[in-house]
Amino acid sequence: MTSTTLTPRHIASRTAVAILGGYAFTWGVVALGIALMYTAGMEFHDAEHLSYIIGFLVFLTAFLVAFATQRLGKMALILVGGGAAMSAVAWWLQSLIIATGV
Amino acid sequence: MFPNFRHTMAWLHTWFGLALGLVLMVVFFFGSLSVFDREIDRWAIPDTRYEPQPMPSFDKMLTPIFKEMQPDAAARAMTAPLADGPLPAHFDTPRSWGAYTTHRDPVLLLFAGYEVPNAKDHETAIWANRTVDPRTGEALPVDRLKIGSEFFYPLHYSLTFDWKNVGYWIVGFSALMMLMALVTGVIMHRKIFRELFTFRPNKSTQRSMLDMHNLTGVVALPFHFFFAFTGLVIFAYIYFPVTHTQLTPLHDRHELVESKETGLPHDRAGVAAPIASVDAMVAEAQRRWAAKGMAGDVGFLNLTHVGDANGYVSVYRAGTDRVQLTGEGIHFKASTGELLREDPPPTVVARINEFLTGLHLQHFKHWLLRWLYVLGGLSGCACIATGLFFFVEKRKRQHAKQGVSGARVVDALAVTVVTGMLVATLCMLIANRLLPDVMPAGWPLRGLMEKYLFWGSWLVAGAHAYWRTASVAEGRLAPAWREQCLAIAVLAVTAPVLNWITTGDHLLSTIGAGYWPVAGADLFMLTGAVLAVLAARKLQQREARPLALKNVALEANHA
Repeated sequence: MTSTTLTPRHIASRTAVAILGGYAFTWGVVALGIALMYTAGMEFHDAEHLSYIIGFLVFLTAFLVAFATQRLGKMALILVGGGAAMSAVAWWLQSLIIATGV
Repeated sequence: MFPNFRHTMAWLHTWFGLALGLVLMVVFFFGSLSVFDREIDRWAIPDTRYEPQPMPSFDKMLTPIFKEMQPDAAARAMTAPLADGPLPAHFDTPRSWGAYTTHRDPVLLLFAGYEVPNAKDHETAIWANRTVDPRTGEALPVDRLKIGSEFFYPLHYSLTFDWKNVGYWIVGFSALMMLMALVTGVIMHRKIFRELFTFRPNKSTQRSMLDMHNLTGVVALPFHFFFAFTGLVIFAYIYFPVTHTQLTPLHDRHELVESKETGLPHDRAGVAAPIASVDAMVAEAQRRWAAKGMAGDVGFLNLTHVGDANGYVSVYRAGTDRVQLTGEGIHFKASTGELLREDPPPTVVARINEFLTGLHLQHFKHWLLRWLYVLGGLSGCACIATGLFFFVEKRKRQHAKQGVSGARVVDALAVTVVTGMLVATLCMLIANRLLPDVMPAGWPLRGLMEKYLFWGSWLVAGAHAYWRTASVAEGRLAPAWREQCLAIAVLAVTAPVLNWITTGDHLLSTIGAGYWPVAGADLFMLTGAVLAVLAARKLQQREARPLALKNVALEANHA
């Protein structure tokens, strides 16, 4: 069970990427999911619930992959960057919907 | 993290499982008890030991009660920081009146929400709650704690740490780690099917604990996964408040569109209006459900914008005949009783969501299924507990040799959350039977005292656990386990006996009368006492066994 790479710093950075990165990425998935599905005509709360259901499965996967991956830095970039990008697109979609005023 | 994928998964399973397993134990145990929360309420409040009642007359009984309900000191204290300046002495504009009951509840819960005129956010409401006897309208004394639905149930999902929702976050993260532990557990053990039929109770403690851990984990795998997952979905709005932060504009827009579509006014008109007969509206709703062939008990009744021309009455069905949480809400104009809207059949996504959440929250009437829930929950407890035992068994001799206290600390924590939690639960029920009817002046309220005694006895059990696990540091079995099992046995007999002495409801009379809420609680505790005695005897035998016998070589394929 012991490994030469297993320093406290190593564990802390893995855990941080898995939890915080996973959270940021999932936030993006949920926000984008709601915005996209609502734009596509789905009922608002349906879009919300479906995004949550998908979101938690994504979080679980992201958490596991963050520990399994060999390249932690790249993973952190994908999770945080991807989450931010998806949130930004959700924002943009929202502003489009509000602007149409329907 | 490690070069080997399975190695990484095993590390995750061991260490995150250990850290969050302690929380999960509490969540699973009180979740199991919450399946029968209303029945535990009856045990704890003997004045409410009568049959469940239908929704009483709104016009005659409930309206006068709602009119005199005002927020209590606790609600005022919670709302005060949300307002500019001091709160008004009396709240005059009721935003909504609601009445809620279930097919297992003899009592009726009423809640009234009021506008806070000087609130910083105009959506802020302050709430007044009251529990009444639906036969007479009489209020239950405020110092009575519904131990099942107001304490064990919140412990299950928030540990009752309400400050900044911290408890919800801890439980939520633990649920995510439960999912993680299930996935990594399956990855670690390739021979899943074999685990189903493997239990070797007479091998070393370490071996049989691992067998039991795998068995309980695999047998109820879908149950565990489903409950951890749906628990997250139920409180998703807390964990990912996307639609109340980033997407608030979209949410607000949806609400306006929705109110236009449904014809249910979003805001008050500002014009006062009387309320027509709500009883007539309930009768009409029941007629409409009956026409669709559905059971017609009212579960939830809600008046929105009370006393305003825009006011409306919503009547929801108690969904006792199916797993999904359903409502089939029917809405009427409050001032005239005119039908405004009948909720359309749910969409596919709504159906999925209602099924997922309904399966977790179980409002249905199906006693066998309820007991299966309890068994599933307790098998989760067994899985977590044996995981903790295995952790200790595997390391204690090595730690003893190295002179480190890791295994001992984990064992003390395991005793605290496994048997200590049962001790605390039983102490609370015993306190419930022994505390004076009304606490003397200067003392906390009765319900509050019960909570203090719960936490206090848990603390004592924890201290005992730490003290009596010293032998683990020498590689031996801790006497704390056996001693707390004996304590459980004594307490679990004391509680039903006290119930008999203080209320006269002994088992022969409750079983004879078929009054299962109280008979079931008593029988459950007595069964627990028998199991605790058996466990204590087994532990004594193990303690007496010479050390060398336990040093059986193990297959090295486990974490």
